[in-house]
Amino acid sequence: MLTVLRGGHIVDPATKQDTIGDVWFQDGRIVAPPAHNKGDVEIDVSGHVVMAGAIDIHSHIAGGNVNTARLLLPELHRAVRARLVGTPLSTAKWSTYETGRLYAQMGFTTVVEPAMAPHHALQTHLELNDVPIIDKGALTVLGNDDFLLRMMRQGASESAINDYVALTVSNTHSLGLKCINPGGCESFKENMRAFGLDDVVPFYGVTSRQIFQLLQKSTQAVGVPHPLHLHMNNLGIAGNIDTALQTIDAAEGLPLHLAHVQFYAYGVEGKHGFSSASARFAEKINANPNVSVDVGQVMFSDTVTISSDVLKQFNSLSGAIPRKGAIFDGDANGGGVVPYAYKISNYYNAIQWAAGLELFLLIQNPEQVYFTTDHPNGGPFTAYPDLFALLMSADLRAQMMARLPADVLEHTTLPSISREYTLYEIAQMSRSGAAKLFGFKDRGQLGVGSVADIAVYKPSKDIAAMFRRAAYVFKDGERVVRDGNVTHYTRGKTLHISPAYDKNIHQRLDAYYAELYGLPRTIFNISEAALPKENAFAEVACRN
Amino acid sequence: MSKATLEGKTISLEEAYRKAADILRSARFPLIAGLGADIAGARSAILLAERVRGAFDHLASEEILADLDVMRSFSMFTTTPNEARVRADCFLFVGPGLTKLWPSMVERLAPDQSPRHGAQAGAPRKIFWLGPDASEAKGVGALSINAPVSEISSLLAQLRATIGGRPITREAAGATPAIAEIAQALKSAHFGVVVWSASAGLDALAIEMLQGIVADLNVSTRCTGVPIGARAGAAGVTQAAGWMTGFPPRTAFGRGYPEHDAWRFEARRLVESGEADAALWISAYDGEPPPWSRADLPLITLAPAGKQPGHGLYIEVGQPGVTHDAVEYAQEIAAMTLRKASQSTATPSVGIVIDAILAEISEASSC
Repeated sequence: MLTVLRGGHIVDPATKQDTIGDVWFQDGRIVAPPAHNKGDVEIDVSGHVVMAGAIDIHSHIAGGNVNTARLLLPELHRAVRARLVGTPLSTAKWSTYETGRLYAQMGFTTVVEPAMAPHHALQTHLELNDVPIIDKGALTVLGNDDFLLRMMRQGASESAINDYVALTVSNTHSLGLKCINPGGCESFKENMRAFGLDDVVPFYGVTSRQIFQLLQKSTQAVGVPHPLHLHMNNLGIAGNIDTALQTIDAAEGLPLHLAHVQFYAYGVEGKHGFSSASARFAEKINANPNVSVDVGQVMFSDTVTISSDVLKQFNSLSGAIPRKGAIFDGDANGGGVVPYAYKISNYYNAIQWAAGLELFLLIQNPEQVYFTTDHPNGGPFTAYPDLFALLMSADLRAQMMARLPADVLEHTTLPSISREYTLYEIAQMSRSGAAKLFGFKDRGQLGVGSVADIAVYKPSKDIAAMFRRAAYVFKDGERVVRDGNVTHYTRGKTLHISPAYDKNIHQRLDAYYAELYGLPRTIFNISEAALPKENAFAEVACRN
Repeated sequence: MSKATLEGKTISLEEAYRKAADILRSARFPLIAGLGADIAGARSAILLAERVRGAFDHLASEEILADLDVMRSFSMFTTTPNEARVRADCFLFVGPGLTKLWPSMVERLAPDQSPRHGAQAGAPRKIFWLGPDASEAKGVGALSINAPVSEISSLLAQLRATIGGRPITREAAGATPAIAEIAQALKSAHFGVVVWSASAGLDALAIEMLQGIVADLNVSTRCTGVPIGARAGAAGVTQAAGWMTGFPPRTAFGRGYPEHDAWRFEARRLVESGEADAALWISAYDGEPPPWSRADLPLITLAPAGKQPGHGLYIEVGQPGVTHDAVEYAQEIAAMTLRKASQSTATPSVGIVIDAILAEISEASSC
């Protein structure tokens, strides 16, 4: 069935369109306009903005730690209304089903869960499978695992490390590698309570710097399209801007993605010893085009922090709101779940809010900075429309700044920044740039041959309202949203890559699991047979 | 060939699915209970509960909720059996019958072997057991403190006080001098691990005391816990309920959205009070019968061969991981795994049976 969206304002950076025009699609793909210029279905979208479906590159939507958070905080997600027909569990708050519905109605069609532990990968995939409509992906966490650290201690060859990286990514069906406080979580098991870039992991004799540099190189060598996704050391600590700047230097020009950088943009100025260092941070990022970042914007709300940085989460536990949490020492990273409330009246939280916005506004290339809230760590993903509105309106920011504690504005450059994002820049950040970051050739854009994932918004003075409820969303060419409501479920895929490796590593790993754990390695396998229906996965090509 | 019976008379599977759908559809507030199933079965059962706006509960919810209540009102430190095995230099087992609740516990945790990681690597572990069964402590080489399960709470309180340097009565200290030894061992351990199970009879207060000990120890050293989950797939069902509804079992959809209430949606209470007017009882592992005494309730039972109840509609189902492949939460790795069938048969799984029942109930007729 040939469908055409007529007369919309197409905003598609990948094809450099910012113009009134038609978008044609058939059998789930964007097609060229036919000579006869007549669609089987014609939809008038004049007066609307037409973009590709958005891509969220970092959002904790699935896996054991997320599920622990659900069970830890029943009071945070009481449901309040019944669902519409055809969308089971779509109003069950914080369920995988609601996650799919809420993303879809904002015009998001691809979301990446950034922290999948290899030994818990099956649960992550079971949960992702139960997120309807959207396509999903995940990043596999390495960097605190004994096998890797052992190989480093033994001075294993780069090719042996590469085989391990490729096998782990391939076996866990992910889109690449994430490294979370490399060495820090292992060191916490040895009772270290702080862990910096050049601290040495006890008994392995390697530093955080060495671990991430190795994984960064290996990610490139095995052809993972996404650069190493790094959660740095010293998250959330005053003065940690130094860690961030040193980490960028340590990248030595190789591709690197830094996660939720707002949480590392802190200086030590002022009477609280806590200030925004975003200006210095942004300057460094502008000078290092090999580095991309997502922000992890703080939005004022009650939320919960979910992280595989167990050391950091343990240190946060005493400040939990409400006072409870879960600390899990996993086979490698593990995880910590600590509830928290960001308040506009709180000096520290207000600095965090301002520091995040500064990063967005001072980093010049919108394809180098991404819009996350590190859901749910800085705030829920449902706050993205409000975030886009803040980026697009200096007035709105000024209104918010007027409500912050007065001394906050002395320790951030935010009041001096007048930049307003354009729709085109929003689309670069949320569509074309995000697709490039993961090596997606056929999404995040409306070029001929791309997946027909399309979001249509009705412009409004209230920018957040425009992005909160898309007028139409098409997933694989099928209409799934009308006037901000999901009309029915479709089944999205979980995207993954399969980098190649020398199969001899199987023997080494089999022997390792048998000797250390007394277990067959296959107990941790992911197979399609474990998921409720066939065809859960779709493969994305590697770089080589 | 699988079988189905209605009041003892054999009927076809198709007839059974239609009849089951009729019972659930015509009920005002149906109950889906037992939930002894793998992930696929639990998933289908919860979708069915949502469709018919009923309640769902697991047969071991008391035990599931004892642990969960501690986490959601206090805090919870846990680790995996693998980490305990390679790192623990001190084990404290708590409660009787742990080796029956988790038959491969000793093999998995290997308390008789030395830890492999950290400064403690190679040194023998210290092993203690509060309130073991007759001989199980000896089997792991533990120093045992014999006590009935009813006294474990107060022994844990005594241990916590001793670790914290707070006073305890001279009688208490004199009666169990080993408490001081355990306190010292945990304080000087690099990575202490407590192993417990709510199914051994520990209530939420005892578990909170245990987790309080762990939390106190983490101020200066490392200590964590390995919980042993309850029977009939409880841990996995809890996980599936969590991602599907946000809540553990004892959740209901009477208002069209999930509400969790451990008292209101307890299966036995719902049946005996008459609030539930039909029930689907699922017990695929071993055919454990329902806990209620009412026999007049319209009842559908999904259980393995040989576990046909005396009345109602019965549909035979396979046993997860035995007659069919099944995803379960595996105690030995504290994670999900796919268990291959050990003696595969064509008997349908809980998931397949419930999906067939669901197919008979259209969206429109649910509200």
